[in-house]
Amino acid sequence: MTFKHLVKTVFLTEIVKGMALTLKTMLTRPVTRQYPKEKRPAMPGFRGLHGLVRDQQTGEARCVGCGLCAAICPSKCIYIYTADSLDHKKIVERYEIEALRCVFCGLCVEACPYSAVILTEHYEYSDYSREAFYMTKEKLLANWDNYMGWEKNMEYFKKFWHPTADDFGFPKNQAVFRGKQNAR
Amino acid sequence: MITITINEKKITLEKPVTILEAARSAGIHIPTLCHEDILEPYGGCRLCLVEVEKVPRLLSACTQYITEGMVVRTETERVIEARRAILEFLLINHPLDCSFCDKAGECDLQDLAMKYGPATGRFAEGKRKHPESYDDPLIVRNMERCVLCSKCVRMCEDVQGASALCITNRGSKSYVEPFSGGRYNCEYCGNCLTVCPVGAIMSGLHRHDYRSWLIEREVETVCSYCGVGCSLLLQIRGNSLIRTVPKIGRGLNRGLLCSKGRFGYDYISNSERLDTPLIRRNGELQPAAWSEAITHIARRLKEIKENHGSDAIAGIVSGRCTNEDAYVFQKFFRGAIGTNNIDSVASLAYGPAQRFFERIFGQGVTANDIHGISNSDGIFVIGGDPTGINPVLGLQVRSACKKGAPVVVMGYAEGLKRFSKHAFITNSTTETVLLASLVSEIKKKKSLPGERPVFEEIISGLQPVPLKDASEMSGFGLNDLVDTVDTLSNMINPSIIVGRDIVQTSTGHMSLLFLAALAYLLNGRIYLLSELPNEQGLLDMGCQPDMLPSGRPLTIETFRTRCEETLGIAIPSTPGLNYVEMIEAAHAGRIKALYVMGEDTVQGLPDRNYVSDALRNVEFLVVQDMFLTETAQYADVVLPSLSWAEKEGSYTNLERRVQLTKKAVEGEGIEEWKIISEMSKILGLDMGYRSVTDIFTEIVRISHIYREITYNDITSGRCMWPYKGGPLRHDVHIEGIELPDIVSVMKNADESGVQVRREAHLFHSQNASRYSPALQSISPEPYVKMSETLAGRLSLRDGEHVKVVTEAGSITLSVHRDPCLPENVVLIPPFEKGGIFEITKWKVNPVTKAPALDGNRVIIET
Ligand code: SF4
Ligand code: SF4
Ligand code: SF4
Ligand code: SF4
Ligand code: SF4
Ligand code: FES
Repeated sequence: MTFKHLVKTVFLTEIVKGMALTLKTMLTRPVTRQYPKEKRPAMPGFRGLHGLVRDQQTGEARCVGCGLCAAICPSKCIYIYTADSLDHKKIVERYEIEALRCVFCGLCVEACPYSAVILTEHYEYSDYSREAFYMTKEKLLANWDNYMGWEKNMEYFKKFWHPTADDFGFPKNQAVFRGKQNAR
Repeated sequence: MITITINEKKITLEKPVTILEAARSAGIHIPTLCHEDILEPYGGCRLCLVEVEKVPRLLSACTQYITEGMVVRTETERVIEARRAILEFLLINHPLDCSFCDKAGECDLQDLAMKYGPATGRFAEGKRKHPESYDDPLIVRNMERCVLCSKCVRMCEDVQGASALCITNRGSKSYVEPFSGGRYNCEYCGNCLTVCPVGAIMSGLHRHDYRSWLIEREVETVCSYCGVGCSLLLQIRGNSLIRTVPKIGRGLNRGLLCSKGRFGYDYISNSERLDTPLIRRNGELQPAAWSEAITHIARRLKEIKENHGSDAIAGIVSGRCTNEDAYVFQKFFRGAIGTNNIDSVASLAYGPAQRFFERIFGQGVTANDIHGISNSDGIFVIGGDPTGINPVLGLQVRSACKKGAPVVVMGYAEGLKRFSKHAFITNSTTETVLLASLVSEIKKKKSLPGERPVFEEIISGLQPVPLKDASEMSGFGLNDLVDTVDTLSNMINPSIIVGRDIVQTSTGHMSLLFLAALAYLLNGRIYLLSELPNEQGLLDMGCQPDMLPSGRPLTIETFRTRCEETLGIAIPSTPGLNYVEMIEAAHAGRIKALYVMGEDTVQGLPDRNYVSDALRNVEFLVVQDMFLTETAQYADVVLPSLSWAEKEGSYTNLERRVQLTKKAVEGEGIEEWKIISEMSKILGLDMGYRSVTDIFTEIVRISHIYREITYNDITSGRCMWPYKGGPLRHDVHIEGIELPDIVSVMKNADESGVQVRREAHLFHSQNASRYSPALQSISPEPYVKMSETLAGRLSLRDGEHVKVVTEAGSITLSVHRDPCLPENVVLIPPFEKGGIFEITKWKVNPVTKAPALDGNRVIIET
């Protein structure tokens, strides 16, 4: 046992040090957030609950049912059912995401050529039933209305996803190929 | 031996083939857009360009043949640069609407653009516009997407032989259009959509319903419409059938289909399908539980058996039933009920014809490879239009014709009009006389081969009919007949294709004898057209009143006892009634209970009123069908049945190739064999099957001809007749065939009036097609075809409505004028409403026992 050690043991310096830290922390501002009273703002590009973008002009979902999101989804949790409308257009009858199986990789967002599916900043969606996590088209559109909206959406896309369709619009009279270079 | 080097790999080939084929044989991929194995090389798209040493320019691999020592490179800088340039040009006018194009994911252009294509377009000009055409109910054309590979046009012209499409306009304005304009007026084979590499010609049936990568499963099965048995793939998502596509290069059809196989599958999702059993209570058909329905049937059958004897019960099987279902059904009738009153639709024409030929030449004489037709040097078609009844077989006829084989047609064949050297359309008696006369002339030119002395005696004993007499009677020019005789006698290995119209006449047995003689004299192979997918199977399974499984006569004691011992049942020794006789017996009140499996008897037999009366007369009628057919409406119990895509089983096609039909989707209902075995259990015969494999094993055990086959053999396509060399029945018994008295036929021929004959319609198979909205949408309204002279005399124009009257009734039909028809014949197809069977009556041919239709004379009232 060395002398130094003896002094430490006799005078309980460790405790004093500890108490000093406690005292110091007591006087600083607390880091703990009083969740759920106090919510943490989502960082830009946060991947929360899914949403389907509502088109400004038509008020309908912007999705055309191309199925690329479903194709790329690694957990295969996107289900799309399309049909032919009376005027021979493709309509998306059902667009569903099983949120409980989603791994929030964001690949669907990246794959969508129309920037029609997004991950909102909403993360508080706990519930008691599994069904509540089965996102139907209506729920997904509501998610977008409630948690995203146009302004935020534009920024979100421009910053994080470098959309292929830079005007976020449908192709005009016919599709025109816009390369990535032109979009930026 | 030719040795070449492709991408530094040495390849030795026996024959000079194209660079493309050589590369493929070595596993080297060369991209193509306009090449298709079954079409001629075209060299239009230039995507297959490759670099060949010592040749300054790039060569197209699909048209350039290899030469000794050639050094080829397929993926050099220069080649890739060229491909990129071509793709850039192709994309100038391409709408790039992959997101809604159904072809995406399986589009050749998309794949190539991904691999070689430029990332951006350099053309600032606008794109060519061409609105999508929705004029056709089934085929959607989007000519903005077309890359002008011309595969569709070549397919339609060279393979299908319909020549319905063409490329219109020039240069960048070119597009593909049917000659008829927006709406197609063609055979709707859909083979053009099979080959289109992009989404320019697509089926409208499943338009926008799927993305190719969302299809979850594929099931390879066979078509359920006709006796050819084409292979197809059913593509499924969840529990719904998305589409059927041909399997390129697979099966006997090698990827070709006809309208029924391609578009007719949608009957399985028809909303009118029955999903629960119905029992008649207080005169109304009311839903009931399965167990209730089954016990009810078993109880009633038992009662009737006790009160009226086993022979008061009869069973009819449809040609859509699988071998397994048919086998169990006949076992139930023979073993559990104790009657041989079991027959199928095959006995209306296919069976009698086959029986007749087998009687002369031995078992299996009609089992010939369909591909043999295109290799024959001459074709004789009689009694039906192969391109309408068995369309994919019909393509073989056209292909033979393209290779230069003369085609002689007797009877009406719409699809062979442009392909036949001689066509004789006349009424059925004259047809027999004409045939007799051809045979007697050919007999003079050809020597008898001496293989079958007994039959040769018959041939020599045939009454001679001079061509002059036949010409006088039929009105055909003598020169034509002489030329026909020459054409026929020059054939060395002809195919003789026989349809049902020749059997269903009162002189049918004579015609069959003349045909047999013709086949013998010319060394021809006989093909029987079969309108239903499993007619052959029904015969093989013993669904005949006088034959046991594998076509062994019931009356042969040894075989019957062997059957009885193997199966542990007692088989009654007296032959039962055939289909037509059953209906007659029912009409007379002798049949108390009738069990109809899958057949719409009212629609399928020539005399609707008579059949309806007969069915009303039956005390207890059970009908098992997918839909509430007219027959089912008379039933006391209706059981829903599963469609072909919802159950397992096997079909035997007209060349006696056994093929599997697989379960693709779940259906509402119980398999037929399960229902029958349940009933059988109640009646005291426990069949103890657990699966279709059990049934098949039993069939193999009992049937001589199916000996030792397994489902594995069938899957691997090895089940062509004769399977594993099973012993055939060689008991030809030509003795007893009466020499036809053709002279008195000629003398007594009733040439008066206008005879009505049946036209087998391409879009109407007379069964499931009726419930397929797609096929219904392309088929025209009911019509009567008549000659120009007859129409002219009555001053009728095309499309005008007339009343066609016979003894049996009258129907109103629209007029189609056809210059090929003679004045004394009109044709009516067997449509559901306004079909020929509404106004015909039948007589039974005494020899073949087939219903004869030739007594029906019509009067056209305007
Ligand atoms: S975030 Fe990833 S896992 Fe979730 S739905 Fe999108 S692609 Fe699928
Ligand atoms: S990728 Fe976009 S447009 Fe395509 S189906 Fe998904 S959400 Fe809709
Ligand atoms: S469907 Fe068949 S017949 Fe009609 S245009 Fe296409 S290939 Fe020709
Ligand atoms: S429609 Fe299709 S198959 Fe026909 S030329 Fe155009 S791309 Fe080729
Ligand atoms: S030819 Fe017969 S088996 Fe082949 S697709 Fe047509 S109907 Fe089906
Ligand atoms: S595939 Fe060779 S030119 Fe088109």
